[in-house]
Formats: sequence, C-alpha cells, structure tokens
Amino acid sequence: MVESWLPILVFVIPTVCGVISLSLRRASGFFHSVIAVLGLTGTFAISVAITVEVMKGNVLVALNNTIYADGLSALMELLGSCMGMVVAIYSIRYIPIHVAHRADAPQRLSTYYGLLLLFLGMMNWTCVTNSIVWLYVTLEATTLATVFLVTFYWDRRSLEAGYKYLMLVTVGIIFSLFGLVLIYAGVAGLPEMKGRDVLLITELSRVGRKIPYSVVLLANALLVAGFGAKAGLVPFHAWLPDAHAEAPAPVSALLSGIVIKVGAYAIARIVTVFAPQYPAVIIFVAIMASLSMVIGILMALVQDDIKRMLAYSSVSQIGYVVEGLGFGTYLGIYGGLFHLVNHTIVKALLFLAAGAVAHVTGTRRLSELGGLVHRMPVVAICFFIGALAIGGLPPFSLFMSKFTLFAAAADLRLTWAAVIAVFTGLLTVACFVRAALRIFWGKPVEAIQPAVAHANGGERSVPMSMVLPMLLLALLTVVIGFYPGLIHPILDRATECILKVLTGGF
Amino acid sequence: MPIAIQQTDILALLMITHLIASLVAAELRNLRAAIWALVVQSFLLACIIASFAFVWNNYTLLIWAFITIATKVVIIPALLFYMLHITSLTVELRPLIGLRASLLFGTVLIVVFYWILRTYIYFVAPTQAAMVEPARSSLTVAFCIFSLGVYVLITRRDVIKVVIGLHLLENGAHLALITLAPALPTTTKLGIWTNVVVAAYMIVKLTEGIYKTLGVTDTLALSELKR
Repeated sequence: MVESWLPILVFVIPTVCGVISLSLRRASGFFHSVIAVLGLTGTFAISVAITVEVMKGNVLVALNNTIYADGLSALMELLGSCMGMVVAIYSIRYIPIHVAHRADAPQRLSTYYGLLLLFLGMMNWTCVTNSIVWLYVTLEATTLATVFLVTFYWDRRSLEAGYKYLMLVTVGIIFSLFGLVLIYAGVAGLPEMKGRDVLLITELSRVGRKIPYSVVLLANALLVAGFGAKAGLVPFHAWLPDAHAEAPAPVSALLSGIVIKVGAYAIARIVTVFAPQYPAVIIFVAIMASLSMVIGILMALVQDDIKRMLAYSSVSQIGYVVEGLGFGTYLGIYGGLFHLVNHTIVKALLFLAAGAVAHVTGTRRLSELGGLVHRMPVVAICFFIGALAIGGLPPFSLFMSKFTLFAAAADLRLTWAAVIAVFTGLLTVACFVRAALRIFWGKPVEAIQPAVAHANGGERSVPMSMVLPMLLLALLTVVIGFYPGLIHPILDRATECILKVLTGGF
Repeated sequence: MPIAIQQTDILALLMITHLIASLVAAELRNLRAAIWALVVQSFLLACIIASFAFVWNNYTLLIWAFITIATKVVIIPALLFYMLHITSLTVELRPLIGLRASLLFGTVLIVVFYWILRTYIYFVAPTQAAMVEPARSSLTVAFCIFSLGVYVLITRRDVIKVVIGLHLLENGAHLALITLAPALPTTTKLGIWTNVVVAAYMIVKLTEGIYKTLGVTDTLALSELKR
C-alpha cells in the first residue's frame, strides 16, 4: 500500500475540466474540444502512471484508504480515459455540425463537453472508490451525467430514450443501494469487525464469506438487479437499445463502451465476493448471462436501424463479460475482463463507423443504405474489421477472449453454457457480416441525395478527425488479436485482484 | 425509565403515520394532494431521523434530518409543484388498477410485509443492531415503503405519480440506510443528497421536454421507439 495523489487526480482532473466547460456557456466549440482533449490526455497520462505503479505490485491508496487503486481499477481507468480521448477527438467535427442549425448551439456544445468530462470523472471515481456507499453515489452520478447526453438532440425520440434510461437505471441503483445496506449490516454485525471501518470494500471482501446465507441471497438479488440494469443485462435491458440508438454516435460509443462496463465493474467488485462459497450463484449468473446473449443477438438480427442492432448486440456481449466474471475461476474472470476490454474497443469502433455512415447519408436504416464502399472506403474497412471481430472470428481480439470464456465454461463442466456462447457467436457473425455487406457492398441506393444528407447535418465525405479514431480502434482490434500478450500483464494483475478476494488472501 | 418509554411511543406513532402517509401519497388521485402527502411523508422521515439522534445519542443524525427537510420537504416538492404547474394537470391519469382495488392491495401489501418482516427480521439483517427496537420496526417500515414504491412504479402511468413512486422507493432505501448505518460520514451523506436532488431536477427537465413535444404526461404514450 502506497499513499499517492494519483488516484485522486485521475477523477479530479476531468471533473474540474467538465465544470469549466459547463460554466463557460458562450465559449466556442473549438475551446471546449481543446479543454476536453487536453483534460483527457492528462487523465490518460495519470492512468498510465497508476498502471505503472500497480504493475510494480503496489496498491495506491489515499484519504484513509477510502480511495484505493489496484489492478482492476488501473485497467478500468486506462480503458476509460483512452475511450474518452477517442470519443472527444471524434466529436470535434461531428457534434458542431449536428447542432449548427440550432440557435442555442454554443450552450449545447458547452453542455456536451461538460457532461462528457463530468461522466469520465465520475466513472474514474467509481473505479477508485473503496467505500460501498460512495460506489453507489458515483455509479448514480455516471448515469446522471450521461442522461442529458442521450437527450442531446432534445426531440421526441431522444427524450423518450432519456426518460427510460434515467428512470430504469435510477430505480436499479436504488435497489443496489438497498442491497449494499444489507451487506453493510451483515458485515457490521460480525465480531471481527469491531473497531474497523465497515464501509470499506477491502474490509468487506476480507470477511465476505462469513456473512449469513440469507443476507447474501437477498442482497445479491438486489445487487444483480441494480448493477445488471446499469450493465444492460436481460431482463433489465429495456433502456439500452433506445438510449444507444437515439444518442449522438460518439455518446453511443461511450455508452456501449464504458457506461455499461461500469455496471460490470460493480458486479466484479461486489458480487464476486460471494461467488465461491455458493455454487448456486455461479449457475444463476451463467443462466442470466446466457439469456442475455441469446435474447440480445436474436433482437439484433431483426433490427433495421444500425444503431439499434449494435445496441442489442451490446446486450448480448455483456452476457459474455458477466458470465466470465460469475464463473469465479481464474480462467473465467480473465476471459470476462479480456472480453470487457475487447468489446469496449470493437463496439466503440462499430458505433463510430455507424455514426460516420449516418453523418454522410443522413439515415441509419439498413434497408435504405447500400454501396457505400466507394464513398467511404476507410469506414467500410473499419466496419468490416469490427463486424468480423465481434463475431469472434480469428485473428481478431474477440476471438481470443471468447475462446478463453469457452475454455472456462468447459473447465467448470458447464457444457451447455459453452454451447450457447458458441451458438451466439455464430449468430453474431451472421448478423454483422450481413449488415456490413448490405451497407457497403449492397446495391447502391441513389435515393439518398446529398441535399437530404445536408438537411440532416451530413457532409459529403467523412472528415479526418472522425476517421483517425476509427483507424486507431481498428488497429487496436487487430494488434490485440495478434499479440494478446500486449495487455496480458494488466489483465493478469486485475484478475489476481478479484481472485485474491475470492480465495480470502488478504 | 419513563422517558425512554415516551421516546419509543413517539417513535411508534411516527412510524405508523409515516406508513399511512406513504400509502396516502401512493393512492391519492388528486396530484396536488398526493404531493402534499409526500411532503408530510418526507417530513415524518426527517422526524424519525431526528428522534434516532436522541435515542442513540448520535447528534450528527440531526444534520441528516436537516438535510432531509431541505431536500425532500422543500426542494423536491417544489420541483414537483413546478411540474404540475407546467403540465396544468390536477387529476392523475387513470392508472392500470382501480382505486378500490389499489387501496386494498396497497394496504394488504404493507400489512403482510410488515408482519412477515417484523417477525423474521434476522433473516434480512442478522445483526445485533437490527434486532433491538427501534431499529427493528424502522427497518421493517423501510422495507414496506420500498415495496410500496415498487408497486406504484409498476402500476401508475402518470409521470408525476411515477416520480412520487420513485421518491417513496428512495425514502425507504434511505430509512434503511440510516437505521443500519447511522455512523456514515457527513461527506457521504452530502454525496447521496446531491444525487437525489440532481436526479429529481433532471426528471423535471425531461418531463417538461416531453410535455412540450408530446403534450402528454402519460408514460404509456412513450412508445415511439417500441417495435
């Protein structure tokens, strides 16, 4: 344990930048994007510094151990700030064009960048907090920061999506607060907790196995409902397709990439504490996850809207992540975290590509798109890489993580779970390759005239600031696929953090 | 000790009225009256917290009671009345369940929940703190209000009624939090209340937006995105 300011700075910097952006209502869009990119670069640098410290075997703590950064925190910080940077760069051109025709454009830009930065601050805070009540507070804050990003266009559809998102996730979070309170009471009653700070997650995981069975059952049901709603797990996923589809493309990338992963992170931190002593929990989580996978991909197959298709696929993919975490074995947790990282990258890539398509053509409907490969070859290649990767085809990164998960399931003799996971993978390939072929190689649709596209805020070609983030993400997908060893050390460290809790190695 | 008995009597009275106020806030069809019932319910919550401060000699709980009054008795009802003002509604949209049936169901829900939980409280909170009065009754009341909130959220379609349900749910969870974790640091409490107020403000903004674009406050009308 090393006292350090880094875990505090990692959430204070984006929060302060966010407040600056929110308070300068009349500043230009350029100013806001500079603040965002600079702030997030700083955050990324600090995340790297935290990772370096953690890889040395240290745990960074601050403020009486209420702030605590271990391998799992470092992994999430790194992923979050990296995605934040990508999204901020993509937004430089995308967002101003989409609000250019509105009278209150400067205020909207200030809200957009301010909330984007605030969200990343809150998300980073969630990942370093060591107090169960602060976990609830910051988790709810990540929701609150993103609601007005979902309703950014402030029209009928986005308002509906935002309302559902706010209501469902807030109710879910209150459920998880109740669960956390029960766990707190269960821990506080234990004789060995006399004189210790019961609110700390590290203390909780030390004695987690001694909490009475009845409390564990009730509290875990409440927690899975609450965090599951945030993660978009079936049957709490109703908000997800609406919010993802109606938000601006970079926000969708952020929602699918990071917001739902915060829910998965909370499950990894709290629920896995109880997994090992109750094998029923493993089966329960595996069933929930398998349902999520199958229902998600079946719903994705019947969508005509690209972004809704991608959103339902996120429901399906979060099933893989949660299944891995729920297994509670080294291989399972490793696979779950690996899939979390890969899915973040690939789904962000696909959402950004879909956003570019809508940006140029003014439509998101598969039935109205076709033959775009000549107009945007780079986007076509990026989308195709993403489509193959999310289907779990070698040599891309998701093949590696899915394979790890299949192995983990087989290891636990859960053959049915492995079969469902493979089956879902096949459907995913079919769904995405079909979509990619249709959008980029299908019959060119002449009906979409540039004039229509312009009315929708589109351009004739995709600007460089939108292509670069996509290229970066596509590159990452390929590189991690070929050299999984690149991120193995940090994944290994994060897995050890969860396992240490499971085996009571404190 | 006669004073201690008096304290528990006052607490019992507070809790029973708290439960009744929750039921009234959930069932009243007149929206203005329902919001006033929520004000009373929240005020009673603050009173319960304040009496805990004296029962447990933990005077930091008084801060919590004051913040409860500031947020739940003043700010949130003000926001709800603002919602009522912009939508110019007086009577709730017909819920999915009739008044008599709903009243009966709500009462039965509370009574049954109260009876079961009061008897088997060790099942959900097996701690010394939760076994003794007044924590035992308080936790039971918290569970009842929480489940009443869930019931309201499921069966009501009027936005304002849904928000009232959300606040019942929140008040239940917060009562449980205060009962089982009275020693929370003040910064944590401030974090929780900030969230509550910001969430309430955002719901009002969204409802205003929805009302201005759709002209309704019916959550069932929000179905454009369904297929």
